[in-house]
Amino acid sequence: MSSHLDLRDVSVSFNGFKALNALNMSVRKGELRCLIGPNGAGKTTALDIICGKVKPSAGTVSFDGTALQDLEEYEIARTGVGRKFQVPSVFRELSVSENLDVARARRTSVLGNLRWNIGNAGRADVERLAELVGLTDQLDRPAAYLSHGQTQWLEIGMLVAQDAELILMDEPTAGMTAQETRKTAELFARLKGKHTLIVVEHDMGFVKAIGDVISVMHMGQMLAEGTAAEVEAHPEVRRAYLGSGGISHA
Amino acid sequence: MPSHVPHSSGLQRLIAQLAPLLIVCAVVFALPVLLNNDFLLNKVARYLVLGILTVSLGLSWGFGGILNLGQAMSFGLGSYAMAMALKLKTVPVHTGASGLPDFMVWNNVQHLPWFWEPFRSLSFAIAAGLIVPALVAAALGWFMFRGRVTGVYVSIITLATMVVINLVIIDQQSYTGGFNGITDLAQLEIFGVAFDAYGRATYYLVAGCVLLSLLVAFAFTRTKAGLIVQAIRDHESRVRYFGYDVALYQIFVFALSAAIAGLAGMLYTVVMEFASPTFLGVQLSLSVVVWCAVGGRQSLVGAFLGAVLVAGMQGALSESAAFLETWTLVMGALFVLVVLFLPKGLAGLAQVVLRWIVQRRHAAGRGVAQGVGQTEGST
Repeated sequence: MSSHLDLRDVSVSFNGFKALNALNMSVRKGELRCLIGPNGAGKTTALDIICGKVKPSAGTVSFDGTALQDLEEYEIARTGVGRKFQVPSVFRELSVSENLDVARARRTSVLGNLRWNIGNAGRADVERLAELVGLTDQLDRPAAYLSHGQTQWLEIGMLVAQDAELILMDEPTAGMTAQETRKTAELFARLKGKHTLIVVEHDMGFVKAIGDVISVMHMGQMLAEGTAAEVEAHPEVRRAYLGSGGISHA
Repeated sequence: MPSHVPHSSGLQRLIAQLAPLLIVCAVVFALPVLLNNDFLLNKVARYLVLGILTVSLGLSWGFGGILNLGQAMSFGLGSYAMAMALKLKTVPVHTGASGLPDFMVWNNVQHLPWFWEPFRSLSFAIAAGLIVPALVAAALGWFMFRGRVTGVYVSIITLATMVVINLVIIDQQSYTGGFNGITDLAQLEIFGVAFDAYGRATYYLVAGCVLLSLLVAFAFTRTKAGLIVQAIRDHESRVRYFGYDVALYQIFVFALSAAIAGLAGMLYTVVMEFASPTFLGVQLSLSVVVWCAVGGRQSLVGAFLGAVLVAGMQGALSESAAFLETWTLVMGALFVLVVLFLPKGLAGLAQVVLRWIVQRRHAAGRGVAQGVGQTEGST
């Protein structure tokens, strides 16, 4: 079976620093893949390559047979790739419901969107999404007034609204309380199967709670892949994390 | 209890948002009844036109986040389109049926230039007054937004482009009237109605266009595309990763804003009875930014009122003996105060005051309801 997402020998360098060095990774449809690794391993860059924020200097990225590496960011998004950023990125001056509405990108052309939002077709959809991420009572507030955790949730809700086939999450639980993190894990478990997820995370508890397969990156390359127990036992992974107290304290 | 107003339906919200717009337009339409002075009415019409121009900037700056310092370029192009048509109407009277506009005769031009030819048709001129600014803006926008030029660089490019066009118009005196502009125009006449600059018909034409442009701009902000444009203002790349082609949205709002500015320019020619290179000058263009900021750039009605009030004040101050020398200082101080203390302009201030009143009412209403509940409980 050919895989859903395929990165082949992807390299990229910033001013001579090789952020990715012939990275290979494949992800199956409906899988929830966790991407871990020490700081500077190239995890975020790997997501940047997939969503088009950074162009690879060599190698190919194919998604359901489409070559992504030559497409513009918005074209990649239209093939069904969604991205959540490490720094929560929402539209601060728009209300929560407007944020979710923008994310519901069923039509993307300017002229196709020149219709009135009056009567609020899709308001029910927005309310359902708000309930999913626990922001029902914040619908009409500007996103700027949300707490850090709520902002993270809003962006996650926006990705669910976008309904992308492949969702890339960069540290979705950063700055969340333990309870919020648990709720996020539950949400991800629900998204799994219907969507394919790649999650970059440092919180090993979270990774163990949600991940099927864990990929460990180091120095821009794939170091190991397997279940939590397998990668923890992996000698090279132990060496990569040496000095930082082992993988659980990364 | 959260501080926001509880859920309201979409229709209620629409009415609440439209109310200030309709009230302001009602006042504009009612003004001639109160103001029985044609000279003053012409002056007000002038400020209303500048209000339309400022609304157009509010659309691209306040909603789209594109600070166009050359907004007067679109205004000037519209103004010249109208002036060219009205100038050609005077030719049979001034220089005979097969003659040329008077300034061309003075400049020894032999034939009417090709680009003047279609302006014999007033309908063409009106269409051109809207479409030419929009196309110029779209072309400029295509280069800027495809190249992901943002922020201050957009402002510099738009300002520079306007200065270039301004210089070309001044330089090409034999075709444009140069420094003097195009003066001594015929009256605009549509469907047998003559629009004398000092007549009520002209005032109502301007008032109608105020209503039209405010409604068009408002309708756009209520569409999904309008929402996406605001999202781009807040976080451009986030919008891109939802699959929207950001540049196309920016080009669209930029061109729409230019078309509205073009409409204002055409009206300005009718109200002022001439077109001049100062209509696309740096001073006017920057004044529009000040009016927009004072009124509130994220409110269409605010931007409109900002222009009418501040331009009106400028007019009054510059003509009063006491402020003859210092009125620019007063204006500058006003701008600094607004930028420092009212980032959302007068419209933002009005919103804060309104919300405060609503909350007080709410609190009072709840107090009464609780009182009733208590008496019921006790009986």
